[in-house]
Amino acid sequence: MTDTEGREDDGRLDAELRGLSRTTIEPGRDLWPGIAAQLEPRGGQGALRRRPAWLWQAAAAVLLVAGSSLLTATLLDNERGDGTMAAATRVAPAPAGTSGAMAMPAAFGPGAKLDPEYLAARRLLTTVLETRMANLPSSTRAKLEVNLAEMRRAAEQINAALAEQPGDPLLEELLLKTYQDELAVLANVNQLTNALAGTADGKADSERMQL
Amino acid sequence: MPKGEEVVDELQRARDVAEERRLVAAAVDGSTPAFEALYRRHVARIHALCLRMTGHAATAEDCTQEAFVQAWRHLPRFETRSAFGTWLHRIAVNAVLQHARRRRETLGSEDSVEREVADVMADHAASDPGRSRDLESAIASLPPGARQVLVLVGVYGHTHEEAAGMLGIAVGTCKAQLHRARALLGARLEAPETHDDGH
Repeated sequence: MTDTEGREDDGRLDAELRGLSRTTIEPGRDLWPGIAAQLEPRGGQGALRRRPAWLWQAAAAVLLVAGSSLLTATLLDNERGDGTMAAATRVAPAPAGTSGAMAMPAAFGPGAKLDPEYLAARRLLTTVLETRMANLPSSTRAKLEVNLAEMRRAAEQINAALAEQPGDPLLEELLLKTYQDELAVLANVNQLTNALAGTADGKADSERMQL
Repeated sequence: MPKGEEVVDELQRARDVAEERRLVAAAVDGSTPAFEALYRRHVARIHALCLRMTGHAATAEDCTQEAFVQAWRHLPRFETRSAFGTWLHRIAVNAVLQHARRRRETLGSEDSVEREVADVMADHAASDPGRSRDLESAIASLPPGARQVLVLVGVYGHTHEEAAGMLGIAVGTCKAQLHRARALLGARLEAPETHDDGH
């Protein structure tokens, strides 16, 4: 075997070895019953009782966000249902504050950060949507910005609470819920603007006539 | 501009991450259903790691079980901003090494452990024909020290420094073990009957 052939073999073996890391193997039996039998109970209720009053204010903020998300989703659904064509013809320029309204604080208090994957998804969606917001009807866009701003305020409140109590799992969960709501709304906008773009492409000539 | 599918994939991954964080937070608060959900998500990956490191099906199941019990015990100290899967991987490696240490204390030497290596990926082999099965079998037939280094560095991509730290050996020893493992693996993949005859 030549040196070159040897290096090629080594490279192939390395690639095959690394490939194994993606292969999972189920155990021959369900191990959960044996594991469950060894789990010592933990005092979750006690932990809840020790939580201070501001935590519940943060929870209330998330409820507000959930209502806000629902309102936004409903608005977007209405646009899909009865105004697709009309929406495509009512294009208005995006206001200067668009990106500010969509930017939410991306941290769990001062000493922690969201998962990189989560941040990457938010960045991706935000980038996509900043270019597409202009395609939304002005009334929908205005309501969307109000609701996104509401989410931002809720996230800031929770972040402030996390600054007082870093690493609190319930607060982190509340903040994640807020981000999930934000992502859901942004994804809805993405779908809607995709639909509008599809409609607009197909009927470009007639829309130009209407404009 | 990213395509729609990429955005959806990213969103799905983000939701998975968020769901895992929610499960971890609930498990920290004492929810065993949440911890069972985490077990279901990770058991196949952790069991594969244990099986590759031990080369023995029953031992791998014991180590997998022990890893999840240890994870439950130490979960309140888990840093929620790091990845749960990575943390669990470390716990599983420790479980395998502790098991090997206990076994060495019982049997007296690593050579004894080596002789115990049996049932080489028997279950896995039935469902994974061809080169991949040969490779898994060849890894399982390696001496324990060489196999553990190969699995950590060659398969899971740890650096020599990380693997040496986990295994409690010098970096130089780690490199030597990897070299030995690769040489043995190459020979066994070229002539698989050679080591099969030994059992």
